[in-house]
Amino acid sequence: MRQKKPALVITFSSTTAAIRMEAFCLEHNLPGRMIPVPREITAGCGLAWKAPTDAQEQLTQSMTQAGIQWEDLRILEL
Amino acid sequence: MIHVNAMGDACPIPVVKTKNAIAQLGGPGSVETLVDNEIAVQNLTKMANQKGYAVRSEKLEPGKFRVVMTVGEPAEAETVAEEEACLVVPGSKQKNTVVVLSASTMGTGSDELGTALMKGFVYALCQQDTLPSTVLLYNGGAALSCEGSASLEDLKSLEAQGVEILTCGTCLNYYGLTEKLRVGQVTNMYAIAEKMMLADCIVRP
Repeated sequence: MRQKKPALVITFSSTTAAIRMEAFCLEHNLPGRMIPVPREITAGCGLAWKAPTDAQEQLTQSMTQAGIQWEDLRILEL
Repeated sequence: MIHVNAMGDACPIPVVKTKNAIAQLGGPGSVETLVDNEIAVQNLTKMANQKGYAVRSEKLEPGKFRVVMTVGEPAEAETVAEEEACLVVPGSKQKNTVVVLSASTMGTGSDELGTALMKGFVYALCQQDTLPSTVLLYNGGAALSCEGSASLEDLKSLEAQGVEILTCGTCLNYYGLTEKLRVGQVTNMYAIAEKMMLADCIVRP
């Protein structure tokens, strides 16, 4: 059985915002990957950014500098 | 113990070879059969259960399974199932689900969205409690198992959890990706047709 580990999950207000986040992170070599929004957060459909928990500060700083707004930021066992 | 090498043999050759080996035993004893696919493991297990032989099977490495039948003992499949190292496929009990990835995008409409959705699908697939037995990748889907694919780590995780990952060789060749396959094995249309025909359920996102 797969082992669950804590992960940082960042959600956005729209799908296009999440796709933009992916392009931004790839361009700036920032850690993480796109995932479907986990069911723990919402039963709805959406995309989120998953990253190691220790990348929180780096990511929030980069997003703030670039003017990327996020909706929610949580640590989940995934 | 008699050893039977049925690697690369198509159904029903592994069963035929094993039956011949059991006939050679002429009494109590064991036969070990090496096969390269899970369907053959299921067929051999089914045959052993029908005949009342004890049977256990294990995955040695991706694409290599060992099935050991012991003649002259009652079937012990249930006790073997409790041993962690042994993977017992109880024939018809385990649903044989095949996931088919025939494009690098999911659904029709925007390619940008479709790419994100496919990435999300493969991720969500490897998070499931019940995994498919096989993932088949062909045409545009073949790129997902190759170098540079955003789904590579997820497919590797599926493979590590025992899922067979098979990519169409014709497609790899057509797209110039033959040297870039990074997970699972190359397959051909006969195996693709066989996997789909023998599936209980085909999932195509």
